[in-house]
Amino acid sequence: MSETPILEAKGICKSFSGVKVLQDVHFEVAPGEVHALMGENGAGKSTLIKILTGVYTMDSGQIFWEGQPVQIDSFQDCQKLGVSCIYQELSVIPPLTVAQNVYLGREPMKGPFIDHAKMREMTQQLIDKYEFPLSPDTLVENLGMGQRQLVEILKGLSADAKLLIMDEPTASLSAKESESLFDVIETLRSEGVSIVYISHRLEEVYRLSDRLTILRDGKNVEVLTKDQIVPAKVIETMIGKVVDESAGSRKMLHSDDSAEVRLDVRGLTDATNKYRDINLQVHRGEILGIGGLIGAGRTELVRAIYGVDKAASGEVWLDGKKLDPTPKNSIAAGIGFVPEDRRNQGFIPLLSTVKNVALPNYDIVKMRGRAIDDGDELALGERAIQDVDIRPCDPAKRVGDMSGGNQQKVVLGKWLMRSLNLLIVDEPTAGIDVGAKDEIYSILEDLAKQGVAVIVVSSDLQELIRVSHRIVVMRKGDIVKEFKNEEVTQAMVLAAGQGVESGEGTAA
Amino acid sequence: MRGKFSFNTYSKPIILIAFIVVLWLLAGSNFMNVSNIGSVLNSVSVIGIMVCGTIFVFLIGGIDLSIGALLGLTGVVCVEVINALGATPGSVFVGILAAVAVGALAGLFHGFIVTTFNIPAFLVTFATQTAFTGMSMVITGNKIVSCTQPPLFTGIAATKILMLPLPIYFMLLMALISWFVLRRTVFGRQIYAVGGNPTAAEISGINVKGRSIACYVLSGVAAAIGGVVLASMNQQGMASQGADYVNSVITAGVIGGVSLLGGEGTVPGAMYGTVLMGLLTNGLNLMGVDSTQAGLVTGVVTIAAVALDAAQHLDQSKRKAGGLFAGLTKRKDVAAS
Amino acid sequence: MKQATLRRLISIGMLLVLVVLFTILSGMSFLNSTNLINILRDASVVAIVGVGVTYVIITSGIDLSTGAIMAVVGMVMANVYAYTLWPIPVMLLIGVAVGLVCGLVNGFIVGKLHVPEFIATLATMSIYRSFTYIIAVRDANGVIQSQPMVVRDFTVFGGAMWLGGVIGPFYIVTSAALVFIIVGQIVLKLTHFGTNLYSVGASKKAATLSGISISKTQIIAYVVVGFCAAIGSIFTIARLQSATTSIGLGFEFDPIAAAVIGGVSLAGGSGDVIGMAIGAIFMAALDNGVLKLGVNTAVQYIIKGAVIIAVVIFDAVYKKVMDKRAKARGAGAVPAVETEKGVAA
Repeated sequence: MSETPILEAKGICKSFSGVKVLQDVHFEVAPGEVHALMGENGAGKSTLIKILTGVYTMDSGQIFWEGQPVQIDSFQDCQKLGVSCIYQELSVIPPLTVAQNVYLGREPMKGPFIDHAKMREMTQQLIDKYEFPLSPDTLVENLGMGQRQLVEILKGLSADAKLLIMDEPTASLSAKESESLFDVIETLRSEGVSIVYISHRLEEVYRLSDRLTILRDGKNVEVLTKDQIVPAKVIETMIGKVVDESAGSRKMLHSDDSAEVRLDVRGLTDATNKYRDINLQVHRGEILGIGGLIGAGRTELVRAIYGVDKAASGEVWLDGKKLDPTPKNSIAAGIGFVPEDRRNQGFIPLLSTVKNVALPNYDIVKMRGRAIDDGDELALGERAIQDVDIRPCDPAKRVGDMSGGNQQKVVLGKWLMRSLNLLIVDEPTAGIDVGAKDEIYSILEDLAKQGVAVIVVSSDLQELIRVSHRIVVMRKGDIVKEFKNEEVTQAMVLAAGQGVESGEGTAA
Repeated sequence: MRGKFSFNTYSKPIILIAFIVVLWLLAGSNFMNVSNIGSVLNSVSVIGIMVCGTIFVFLIGGIDLSIGALLGLTGVVCVEVINALGATPGSVFVGILAAVAVGALAGLFHGFIVTTFNIPAFLVTFATQTAFTGMSMVITGNKIVSCTQPPLFTGIAATKILMLPLPIYFMLLMALISWFVLRRTVFGRQIYAVGGNPTAAEISGINVKGRSIACYVLSGVAAAIGGVVLASMNQQGMASQGADYVNSVITAGVIGGVSLLGGEGTVPGAMYGTVLMGLLTNGLNLMGVDSTQAGLVTGVVTIAAVALDAAQHLDQSKRKAGGLFAGLTKRKDVAAS
Repeated sequence: MKQATLRRLISIGMLLVLVVLFTILSGMSFLNSTNLINILRDASVVAIVGVGVTYVIITSGIDLSTGAIMAVVGMVMANVYAYTLWPIPVMLLIGVAVGLVCGLVNGFIVGKLHVPEFIATLATMSIYRSFTYIIAVRDANGVIQSQPMVVRDFTVFGGAMWLGGVIGPFYIVTSAALVFIIVGQIVLKLTHFGTNLYSVGASKKAATLSGISISKTQIIAYVVVGFCAAIGSIFTIARLQSATTSIGLGFEFDPIAAAVIGGVSLAGGSGDVIGMAIGAIFMAALDNGVLKLGVNTAVQYIIKGAVIIAVVIFDAVYKKVMDKRAKARGAGAVPAVETEKGVAA
């Protein structure tokens, strides 16, 4: 493009406590183009956007707006330039009307009062223009998630933005609502508004974008123009050179189908349709990986199997016995669960390693009358520290003050103290350094060798392929594909989760 | 332990000793004699007894504003029962049992409402505070009900062992029991877990709702025991005879390092807070400030203590979670280490 | 809109049921114009203070110090008046200033020191009350005396004012309450500040993302409470003709109860001033009717406590049902957006 880009970011670097999240990233948006931004989880998309909207400050680099160097430090700076961001976390206020939300903080005034009539009229004009199924006077709390997202989008549009950043805008939209959003994007494009479009969904990106920037490991690896945006090419670029999958560095794990079935999930269905009619079996000594996009229903499914949330219908059988899944029953049946959101669900930050480890295990800690045998409790904690190799080992340290890797080891370690039949881990290595990752993998593998059935939910394709004997892929609440370890590639899992056909050998 | 300030580790004994020294210097032997020390401890014994129960509610991140009114109500119940049964020694036991039953029921009610309907605890206990005061007034006909017999009852407060009044020993006993339960039993561990992270506690198989209800019951029972002791001290039951105690108990806990956000705090800490409160009021007394004005000091101390606690938590969450966009900084922090 | 309207109808319905009930039980001694005017007078101070309290509750806060602020304001006014004999309007200004300062202190502690609202205002409640004791006049034996202050028959702009008196059939305090309710509702619904109150109460995160300052909004809300409590105190003094240390003792409960009964959710983000006003009348009618039945004040306390718990439970259940219905329509609770994973390393 020969025009001056409306926004150009050059040499953006950003580190968080020494870890480089963005390295020398270059990103530009031409006037009136839809520019998609893709990358795997952790590639640095969100960080880049937060730098562009003034939420984070970059370590080095420069931002140009219409050719002029600018400083973006705040929400207000963005507004002045004409940058609007539609956040993934909705920022609508439920008890206010659609009109009030759209003009929140920028209400048209008549003397000291908000000019409601004018505000309603302005909102109605916007609604008419983009043909949204909304009315200015509806309270947002009465709207569905999709409509709320439309309000959020309207809010961005109302600011007369020259550049609109959309972070996963279709995440909670229905197919029909997505369609109307795509129409809006077309209209905006024809009006000369630039759009940065972040999405995990390839099909949307193919359809909408003029150009596509792909980030990988904090670097921009490729900028593709419209005619270059082909599924196979995109997937390949996102995953990167697939050296790791070449035979040598990859363990070919074979599942033993003849081994007895330990976990048998029959027709599990969620009340709010997050997952439907799921049938799943895990054998003795098998590690089953569950892949798919975020929001595909994986986390909800495993939470229901463990019993944190109740499924609407369906049955869970373990070793031939039907379970009534609640955390208490599951623990008694020998099931361990490592939740996805470690900090908020995994451990008690103010308590020590010992007490965290002991929490579900007081049935096996020695008692002196009513009193806990502190020595035995400590011994249990120390055994866990040994088993999962927590370093530096200070049994009395608060888990909240430990590193992510050690925290996850504590969460995992407490289940290793019991005789387990099934272990469910959800995103076991999210935010954990490489060394700790490997240790966690070998813990899982050891468990499988002892005959435990293991379920691993992960968005990290490399991890999924590395640890699982078998992988099932979920998409929009259904299991859409099943792969054996020896036949699967990252591209195949990614394509199955996206719902696109992957060309064979895309990632050779 | 927060590693940041080494002062923090030893701050409690340092402040306590500093207080004692200052009071000693100010008031000399008026302060430093067994009878005054005894009266300082005696004056906070009811607060101490109550805080031993209410700490459970604090630890799960709840609050019980009704304990003041409950103190009055249980005292009234105890006194009325004793009087009705003819002030026999046996009636004292029945009276105490009745008071404890009332306290337990009140706690059960609070716990049930708070957990079942997910209503803020302060609101429920704020409303029952009014209701309990009303009940006391109905029972007593809004009069002071005196009770000077039998000696078994008045002796609860009046007896001295080793020159110290009996309520001090009750306080110590309660503290010992609370400490044991919180420090040494599975139940205690689970309370800290529920307060520290209810979701994680649930996943670890703990019945969060049941434990929460139990905490409110313990708070009610401790208030009832406090109510009996207070009634014995005053040799009377009266509806308003505990109104000022809510603030004192919360202040004692907060000064002692019990976080109102839950999950943090110990019985020895709360006891330290209680004793410090006693010294504070005693000091003010020695300086000629009367009890109606002490609220100024306790109020300021409460705000200072909670603000400090809030600042530390805020600081920690900023450091660790990065505020609004918690996920990112946290993850990267973690990856670095 | 529909849900709020329904809740409004419910509170009006509860009030009507109450009136009908008391009319059946005590006949015309309850339902006559003099008594109804008295009920409105009793509701007035609660409604005036309730305007500020409603604002604070909409931000998901609470204020337990209103009664104590009234006491300080009254005592300061009466004391200054006794020593200076300055004209009454000056006293009223001083009273308002004291109220504003008290509110500012609350706002600062909540907004800047991040002390949880209820504990902050519980503490300032005892601070303000103690302060009242400290500045109260004592006799030779140290017994606290009430400080007389006659707020009547003074002139403002050449016209005679009698704050304890009547305009037409209604007490002046009732008219003042009406002004407060109308102005309070307009500010809530038609100004930036009002919108900000709802935003802060509904979602602090979303409010911040929309450029709204949380602490500023909280502080102003508490200052408004201080102002309202000062006006409430002035009318109370005007009626009592003296200031005592027990002014407003236990009062803090009433405006909160009025707001809750009128549909102002303690979770924040919903309700309005008119709802609170209906709640205030409900409370006054309840007190009055129960008295007419010959029940003593003690039982009133129990009934008040029980009614508020019942209403709060009702609201909790009601909200659950509504959420369920909304969910069935595809709306309702926001699903957990898995933001963390999006940035996972």
